[in-house]
Amino acid sequence: MGIQKDRVRLNVGGRIFETTATTLAIAGRNSFFGAMFDDDWNLQPGTATDHLIDRNPDCFAVLLDLLRTGELYIPSNIPEKLLYREALFYGLLDHVRSAKWGPFDGNRLRLSRSMTGRAPGDGTAIRAGPDGGCCVAHGSMVHVYDWMLDEHPAINLDYQRVNDAGWIDSDSIVISACERLGRGDGGMGLFSASTGELRYKFNVTHDDQVKSYTAGALSFSSDDKIFSSCKGRSNEYGIGVWDQTTGKQIDFFYEPPGWSLGDADKLQWLHGTNCLLVATLFPRKDNCYISLLDFREKKMVWSWSDIGAPVYDERLLDERRVRDAIAMEDTSSICVVNEYEDLGFMDLRSTGGSVRWSSRSRLMKGKMPDEPCYPKLALHEGQLFSSMNDSISVFCGPDWVLTSRLRRSYGGSICDFSIGGDRLFALHSEENVFDIWETPPPPIM
Amino acid sequence: MNSNSNSSNNQKKRNFQIEAFKHKVVVDPKYPEKTWKILEHAIQEIYNHNASGLSFEELYRNAYNMVLHKFGEKLYTGLVSSMTYHLKEMSKSIETAQGGLFLEELNRKWIDHNKALQMIRDILMYMDRTFIPGNHKTPVHELGLNLWRDNIVHSSKVQTRLLNTLLELILRERTGEVINRGLMRNIIKMLMDLGPLVYQEDFEKPFLEVSADFYRVESQKFIECCDCGDYLKKAERRLNEEIERVSHYLDGKSEAKITSVVEKEMIANHMLRLVHMENSGLVNMLLDDKYEDLGRMYNLFRRVPNGLSTIRDVMTSHLRDTGKQLVTDLERVKDPVEFVQCLLNERDKYDKVISSAFNNDKTFQNALNSSFEFFINLNPRSPEFISLFVDDKLRKGLKGVSEEDVEIVLDKVMMLFRYLHEKDVFEKYYKQHLAKRLLSGKTVSDDAERSLIVKLKTECGYQFTSKLEGMFTDMKTSQDTMQGFYTNHGAELGDSPTLVVQVLTTGSWPTQPTVTCNLPAEMSALCEKFRSYYLGTHTGRRLSWQTNMGTADLKATFGKGQKHELNVSTYQMCVLMLFNNADRLSYKEIEQATEIPSSDLKRCLQSLACVKGKNVLRKEPMSKDIGEEDAFFVNEKFTSKFYKVKIGTVVAQKESEPEKQETRQRVEEDRKPQIEAAIVRIMKSRRVLDHNNIITEVTKQLQSRFLANPGEIKKRIESLIERDFLERDNADRRLYRYLA
Repeated sequence: MGIQKDRVRLNVGGRIFETTATTLAIAGRNSFFGAMFDDDWNLQPGTATDHLIDRNPDCFAVLLDLLRTGELYIPSNIPEKLLYREALFYGLLDHVRSAKWGPFDGNRLRLSRSMTGRAPGDGTAIRAGPDGGCCVAHGSMVHVYDWMLDEHPAINLDYQRVNDAGWIDSDSIVISACERLGRGDGGMGLFSASTGELRYKFNVTHDDQVKSYTAGALSFSSDDKIFSSCKGRSNEYGIGVWDQTTGKQIDFFYEPPGWSLGDADKLQWLHGTNCLLVATLFPRKDNCYISLLDFREKKMVWSWSDIGAPVYDERLLDERRVRDAIAMEDTSSICVVNEYEDLGFMDLRSTGGSVRWSSRSRLMKGKMPDEPCYPKLALHEGQLFSSMNDSISVFCGPDWVLTSRLRRSYGGSICDFSIGGDRLFALHSEENVFDIWETPPPPIM
Repeated sequence: MNSNSNSSNNQKKRNFQIEAFKHKVVVDPKYPEKTWKILEHAIQEIYNHNASGLSFEELYRNAYNMVLHKFGEKLYTGLVSSMTYHLKEMSKSIETAQGGLFLEELNRKWIDHNKALQMIRDILMYMDRTFIPGNHKTPVHELGLNLWRDNIVHSSKVQTRLLNTLLELILRERTGEVINRGLMRNIIKMLMDLGPLVYQEDFEKPFLEVSADFYRVESQKFIECCDCGDYLKKAERRLNEEIERVSHYLDGKSEAKITSVVEKEMIANHMLRLVHMENSGLVNMLLDDKYEDLGRMYNLFRRVPNGLSTIRDVMTSHLRDTGKQLVTDLERVKDPVEFVQCLLNERDKYDKVISSAFNNDKTFQNALNSSFEFFINLNPRSPEFISLFVDDKLRKGLKGVSEEDVEIVLDKVMMLFRYLHEKDVFEKYYKQHLAKRLLSGKTVSDDAERSLIVKLKTECGYQFTSKLEGMFTDMKTSQDTMQGFYTNHGAELGDSPTLVVQVLTTGSWPTQPTVTCNLPAEMSALCEKFRSYYLGTHTGRRLSWQTNMGTADLKATFGKGQKHELNVSTYQMCVLMLFNNADRLSYKEIEQATEIPSSDLKRCLQSLACVKGKNVLRKEPMSKDIGEEDAFFVNEKFTSKFYKVKIGTVVAQKESEPEKQETRQRVEEDRKPQIEAAIVRIMKSRRVLDHNNIITEVTKQLQSRFLANPGEIKKRIESLIERDFLERDNADRRLYRYLA
């Protein structure tokens, strides 16, 4: 073996580090080291011979190890924030982020941190961003946190109530809000996650006239469309569709008589079937309406409602009420949940069927906390999640067996949760506490 | 959601401001200016090719610190003005470059700028990552391109000059000069790097306009002096040149645009003139079998709208004209075999044109088929002729031909058959011709016969061929019957004549009700024996003798002892046998003794007595026609080189006029029950239907056999109403009802 040719000697803040160009090349072109070397990873002729880098050597040691091993170990004497700042200098922040936690697995989640909010009153929604950040909506404010859980300037909606929020990409958040009577405000807007500025306002047009409206639930499709349930002043109820790139309204599915779309609690775009799931649930309406819309044919291709369902016993009524619904394309079914966290299933291939309830948690009855939150459902890579009181249950396998339970008693019931960027965020109803659950990095062996 | 949100937020903050907590980070007020000077100097050194003395780490740290200490804006605006300054300097040196050096200088400076831009971007990487996204600024690399665009490419002294230089070089290349393609590629690549809009606006659009002008003029010149084939060659070459140009130094997306310009100017605008060009247009190409030119025309015309339909229309009308001439040519109609052969040749020719020049285009094949269908049916005798053609082939035409070739001929015939509207007429003739072939044992190949029957069956269904197949079965059973007859009675028959009987099922064969003639005594005894044998083995049947269709072999000895075997028809045999017992017989005597119908008898005597070389009888007086007063003798002087002598009957191969009418009448008769059956089938399922719809449905159902005449359908409907199968609706007279 010969002498290693790509040896590099760096003086960082007075400490000498020896490494190789190959190791530094892991940092990629778009980093300090990428600029320091030429296209063949030889040192640029312009750089001085001793390669002094005027930065903190302790942090550099951690980051150099990250490049060497792909793993991140932060000694207790280094504040995380300091390390992040150094990583930003070298252009290694993305490396740090992807090494900090592992790929998402609902059965291996650990509570990483709890953030205490300071907003009064209940939170409306929490939404995970694509790269580990999140936003929390309550009242007319949306607080935005990046993956380092630094809070950015909040999105302020001029005191109008926020209904839903969602991330289009790591710097763009769409927010839907109530219309303010007489002002023409409200509707849906695109905001910068880093600065909180309004970038674009989405309009609804009926008969070539721009109308003010209240935007409700949101969903985004993989082909760059935005869906929102809309309620206009002159009874223009339905689902609006916008193009993400042009921002223009491209479609509107009007609510058919005797059905509910404009008040929907939940929208879910189904990529495989090219349909949108729309669910309007109790208590927003007295009845539940779940339907699948095909926009290409302007048709409701599947629908279910509990209107006229026989009521044998008043006490059973609550048990049969659907509180959340989610479509599972892999099994062509819809999963629903009642307020006791009983799961029910419906077949998407035949319309007009009934719910198959699988009573699992009868024990819950009578143990309800004083201020309950209705259960919510989420689906992530074949794992089903449902929140109930202060815990989140994880169900797996073809029969949806309960495999894990995430519980943390501080902060009261969980009013919303969201999965994204390989993290799970759970928002508690009291004091806007939210928890961040992560999967630890993979084991060494 | 509204623009007040930020200001109201600030308002709120201001209320809570506490001065003491405000940090003053910048200690040295000259710090930003000092740091920027270092960076500005570095940028200058980079543009001066003097970067080796710079410390990357120092510059990166300085840029980082400026952004960190909130001087990002200063850094950015400084960068813009510094880069703008250097680009303006470059612009001056490009402008002063003379003539051909202009493009080279532009290219050199572009390379320099790109190198500098890369280094500047490296130094300012931190600003690119943090300051620019949050402040809606353009990233460094893009900024560098935009400034290059605004200060160089769009500068008043460069923009037009650049465009003109590029267009002139392309024009020179079109006129045959060699240009520096590498330099062209670099400059065009620069325009593309500046964004698709720059490439399109500053080069592509004017390039397409200039090209359109160029090709408009050139095509006008060509069309005046070239014939169609040459013109197409030139157009093809130009098209390929442009495609090649795109691949060498233009954006790939331009290919479709420039080719569509050439297509429009050189082809679409001159399409009709080219196709109809005198002495060299499409029709001449077809006549002269110019496959290469035809192929070129097809490939060029397919590129423009309506191109192929233009070719197709001209080809179709030419084909229809020639076809019409062919089928109505009185000379041709005299020889049916030649007639059909001509049709086949014509089809082969166009098949070859379509397969070798027109890419086997389905639409062209359809046009060919519809043209043939059009003109074949112009001649009402086509079905008969096609059947005669087959007859000819199956009698002798296929001797010594391999099985595959037989199949090919038969397939071609089937192709023509498919075009026929009156398939049932063909069937009638085919049956007659087949019967003659089978009964006279003239068919060459049983396999070929059966192969054709199978083809007809797949084409028209079981019903169409069931009778034809019945004929083959009859032939086979007759053989077995004869064998049985001779095994049973062979001994008692002794040395009486050999009898071969073919038992034909009534209905399967084209028989005519004829009077049986008087057979010679030895024959009629034999026939009686056969009759009793046959009726003994098959009960409930009736046998009648078709003496008009049989043949006989006679051994005869003439005056000087010359012996011959005479092959004659049954009628002729009856006549000849009479001379065993008499030397002279008058016409009247013969007629009385044989009871052969007079027209047949006359023909029969004519062939026995009047054909030179075959006149086994002698007639008095000697004349060509047979008179009722004539007398006949055995021609003792008869000689022939051959031992076996075949004495034919004088018959026209083609049908005579009355026969033709008879066949026609029979076809019409046969159609009646078929039409009625179709009407009843349709009405049974539809119950009520109006007149026009019945006509359409019936025509559709019968299409595979013949084209039903609406007048005839109407007559059949009326007949069915009379017989209470249908009734007219009382309210709406146009409606018919089915009566169960």
